[in-house]
Formats: sequence, C-alpha cells, structure tokens
Amino acid sequence: MISMKNLSKVYRTHMIETHALRGFEIHVGEGEFVTVTGPSGSGKTTFLNIAGLLEEFNDGDYTLDGIDVKGLNDDARSRLRNEKLGFIFQGFNLIPDLNLFDNVDVPLRYRGFSRAERRERIEHALSEVGLASRMKHYPAELSGGQQQRVAIARALAGSPKVLLADEPTGNLDTQMARSVMELLEQINAKGTTILMVTHDPELAMRAQRNVHIIDGQVSDFVRHAPSLVDVRPAQAANA
Amino acid sequence: MFQYYFWLGLRGLRRNPALTALMVLTLAIGVAASISTMTILHVMSGNPIPHKSGRLLVPLMDNGPVRGYTPGEKPGDVQMSYRDAANLLNSGQGTRRTALYDIAGAVEPERPGMPLIDAEGIATTHDFFAMFEVPFLHGSAWSAADDKAGAKVAVLSKRKSEALFGKDNPVGRSLRVFGQEFRVAGVLDAWNPAPRYMHIINGTGGSFEGEDDIFIPFATAIGLELQSNGSTTCQEKPGPGFQGRLDSECTWIQFWFEVDSVSDRTAIKSYLDAYTEEQRKLGRYPRQAPNQVFDVMEWLDFLHVVSNDSRIAVWLALGFLLLCMVNTMGLLLAKFSVRAPEVGVRRALGATKGAVFQQFLVETAVIGIMGGALGLLLAHGSLWLIRQQSRDLSVLARMDWAMLGLTVAIAIAASVLAGLLPTWRACQVTPALQLKSQ
Repeated sequence: MISMKNLSKVYRTHMIETHALRGFEIHVGEGEFVTVTGPSGSGKTTFLNIAGLLEEFNDGDYTLDGIDVKGLNDDARSRLRNEKLGFIFQGFNLIPDLNLFDNVDVPLRYRGFSRAERRERIEHALSEVGLASRMKHYPAELSGGQQQRVAIARALAGSPKVLLADEPTGNLDTQMARSVMELLEQINAKGTTILMVTHDPELAMRAQRNVHIIDGQVSDFVRHAPSLVDVRPAQAANA
Repeated sequence: MFQYYFWLGLRGLRRNPALTALMVLTLAIGVAASISTMTILHVMSGNPIPHKSGRLLVPLMDNGPVRGYTPGEKPGDVQMSYRDAANLLNSGQGTRRTALYDIAGAVEPERPGMPLIDAEGIATTHDFFAMFEVPFLHGSAWSAADDKAGAKVAVLSKRKSEALFGKDNPVGRSLRVFGQEFRVAGVLDAWNPAPRYMHIINGTGGSFEGEDDIFIPFATAIGLELQSNGSTTCQEKPGPGFQGRLDSECTWIQFWFEVDSVSDRTAIKSYLDAYTEEQRKLGRYPRQAPNQVFDVMEWLDFLHVVSNDSRIAVWLALGFLLLCMVNTMGLLLAKFSVRAPEVGVRRALGATKGAVFQQFLVETAVIGIMGGALGLLLAHGSLWLIRQQSRDLSVLARMDWAMLGLTVAIAIAASVLAGLLPTWRACQVTPALQLKSQ
C-alpha cells in the first residue's frame, strides 16, 4: 500500500541544511496497522506528511497504492489525498464554525459525490463513531474524545485506503485514548490500513508492527502480530 | 461547488462580525460615492434619442463681422438670424426642418377677475413634434397649412393644460394668450427628455430641468412680433422695430434638420457651404469661417452640457473607491490570516489550491454583494440629498436600472479585486505546518 525507497527530505534555509529523512525505506501492506515511534525531531511527522502527500521529498521513490507520486502536480496530489487517504491529527483540526455533519462533509464535497450519497456516507460515518445523534452540534460542544471521533468519522467518510494518524490520542486522557485506540483497531479490522505516529509505548505495542525512527532513518522494527508485508530498515537489510 | 462556496461565504459573514461589518461598510461608502457621481454623469451624458440622434442635425454658420475676429475662433453665438432661419426653412433640405425661439406671455382667464397665468414656450414649426417624437395626450400638432397661414393655434404641455382646463380634453377650445385668441390643437403627454437637447439654449429652465408650456407656429409668432424670451446676440446694432430685428444679423433662432440617413449629413453640409457662398455675394458672412454640422451628441458635447466638474467628481469618487478597496484588502488580509488552519485542513482533506482560491474569492464576492446592497441604500440617500440642492440636479440625480445593476457589479468587482491578494496568500498556506501547529 505504501512503499518508500531510499527517500530523503532536506529542509534548507540560507544558513542551515537539515536532513529530516535520509535513505528512508518502508513498506506497509494493505490492511496493516503500523505505529511509528521515535524521539522528538527524529522525522516521524515529516515521514507522515510525505506519506500523506502534504510535503514533497527531495530524492527516492514513493508509491501509494501502486501509484508513483513523484512529480505529480498539486491537483493530482490533492485528488489522490482525497481519494486514498484519511487524516487524524492530535489537535482534531475540526472547522469550528461548521457542525459535525458539515465537518464530515468537507472531504466528500471535494470528491464530487451527489447530495444523497454524501448524506448517506456522513450519517454512516457518524454512526460508526457513535455520534449520529449529535450531527447538528458544533465541535466546541463536544469533549476532546468526541471531537477526535468526529475527526475519525471525517477521515473514514470517503472510504480511504489508508488512515494516517499523528498522535491521535496525544490530547486525550487515558480513558478516552483507550476508547479512540479501540475504535482505530475496529476500523483496521475492517481492512483499512493505519499508520499511526505515537509517543505512547503502550499504544505502540498494540499495533501489528512498530517502526522506530531515529535521525531520519528507520532504526528498528518490532513485529507484535503476524503482518502481511515485511518492514525492513535499510541498515537491517544491508547487515 | 459554487453553491457550496457561496453558502460558506454567507456563513463566513458571521465569523468576525465586527471585521465583516467594517468591510461591508467600507465598500458600501466607496460604492455609494462613486455610484452617486456616476449616476449624475450617466444622466448628463446619456443619449436622449438614441435611435435617431445621428440623423438630427444642427447647422452652425458664423455670420459675425470681421472686426475683432481671429480665424479659427469659435463663433460668437450658436444660434442663427431670422433671415437664415427663414431661408433654411424654405430650402427643402433634409426630410424635415424646424426653427424655434423662446416666447413668453400671459394667459388671460376665461372669467374676469381671475389672475393672469404665465406661459413660457417656443415658437416653432409643425415638424418639431415629429422630429423630436413628442408624445400627445390629446389632439395633435398643427398642420403645415397652419404654419404657412400663421394660424392662431397652440399646443399645450400637460401641466399647463391641467392648470388651465383641469383634466378635460381642451382640444378645440379657445385660449387667450399674447393678446390673441388661440385654438388648442393638442396637449402633450409627459415629455421631459434629459438633457433638453432640442432646446438647450432656453429661457424656461436649464439644460436638464424646465418645461415648455406652450407651442405656437413660428410664422404666427413672427406675425405677432413676439420678442424672443431667450438669448439674442447682436454684433452690430439692428435697425428700429421688430422688422429691424428680422432684417439684422442678430442671432436668436435655433435650427434643426432631420435627414433620412447619417450619410445625408454631407449633403446638408454641402448645401450650407453653397448657401453661405451665395450669401457672401450679397455682402454677408464676411468671416469666411467654415460651416459646421452637429448631430445630437456632438451638439451636446459642443455646448459642454456635461460639465468638467462632473467628470472630475467621478474620477475623485473612483479614487475614493480605490482607497476603500485598499482598506478592504487590509481587512481581508486580517480576516483570512486567522483562517490559515482551516486552509490547512481543507488542503489535507483534498482541496486543491484552486479550490481554496475559488472558495475565498466567492467569500469576498459575498462581502461585495452585502457592500453593494448597503451601498445602494447609501447611494439612494445621497442622491436624495443631491436632489434637494437644485432643480437641475433634481432631474439628474435619479438612478435607473442600468445604474442599479452597475452598483452591484462595481461592489462585487471591487470586493473581488480587493480580495485577490488576501485570497492568493491564503492559498500559499503550507498544510503540514498548520496541521501540526494547532
């Protein structure tokens, strides 16, 4: 589903050159639940942004669901993002002046679905996260856990192949975090590939595999359960 | 998607309501100022008879003396002498011809003891009514035979007819005016062309305001020796009495030709050249100044009916609108800068830069529509104030459908133009940066 080979990302200012990712290699199979861990500044978020087509990379190859994304223009990347990917963020990132229904509607609008299909998908997605009865509520009227559930509903409404989650439980208390994690596991069980960045070792252990990143490279991986596709860091493969 | 963006734009009005209100008000004031001045210019410079303005022609022949004349200078007056008017009326040139001059008198009441009623109007020929497409409420114009015979017939304006005869149809009734008994031939329906192109030089109002109460045959007025109530220019002292005035080179009559097609204008010019050449043999037209022919719009331009002040006022108002747009741009920059996180989210969820650009541009257009609506109200208010200033302005300061549409168009265009830079900047948001920073 996601395949990166020898990928590098360099941030340049007129004074400094920072290698956020170097020789980065990862392969994530369809239906996998992979967590990504690493210290602050290791390149986790850069990796997730590149995987989510929110940032471009300097060198290497990246194929998403069999599509080589290198050199795609902004329109094509946006379309691919809309069709193949769903995002969940630490800060929920709901649009505050839209109610839940309209928040979940945003990606579907860009997809060009009919009014009836949008309604059906929104109602279904909100039901899946247990918030069907609060469609007309605004984000500010919900708890953090509920807001994250809405964000998950928004990410799922377009039936994406991959869900990219950047510390989705980072702003939640333990109980809410556990509930969101259970929801993600249910979603994964239905076949959606999930790539989740987290600082929480307990959550990282719950995924099928955990990839550890240090200094922009995959330094280690741990398999917690049988996976469909092997994930091999460049150094490990060469060793 | 336009509908979606429009809906978002309407919702966006509620976001930062104070900032939104300020933008709407800024645009509204700019739009109102420019529309008010443009309305006046629009009415001033409008074509009062668009379908035939190119076929109604004014001849201008300079019959002034050589003394004090510098070749190339404008003629001392734009009217003509009685001798020339009479000759041109008999020339057979064009399909119709008419001469006119201002007259004024008092209508004597039917019952003794009642006060006299003033009546100002013009002495002209029956062709006047057909040439300028004057509408009739009752009766019709007098005939060519009445012109020839100098018949005592009159046509009244609707207002004067109602003042004299009430709502009744007065056609055929008698009217005692200029010390004579006249028969009413017709009553005009409402007719107030703006500007009063056929009678710009007049004694009954201004270029835009005023109305002629009474019309009588040109020959009748001459026969009754009615003096001109308008301007008269004499560069040499005329002979004694009314006949002296008729025989003089004094100019006090306005003249119009109507031709079948615009191309016939050349024939009129050739005729005038031949005519003045002929007159020179009789010792007239010593200046040898070239003759000129104007159509309606050229004539209005030649007489500076649209003042430079009005044009300057429009430029100043447009400058003010530009200032308002720059202010709106600043406010939009502030409004959109706090929306960067939303742009980041939308981009992450699949919006292209183009989609974000469209969304924000439609949002500025919605602000423009609101500004236009408020600007329209303010413009109506300012035009009402302008109308109170003078009778001329009371005719000019009236908005028509074209100006109404223009108001909305200007408001939307101004807001969209003001929104281009803020919208472009909104599109440059780096989604990854915004998503992490929330």
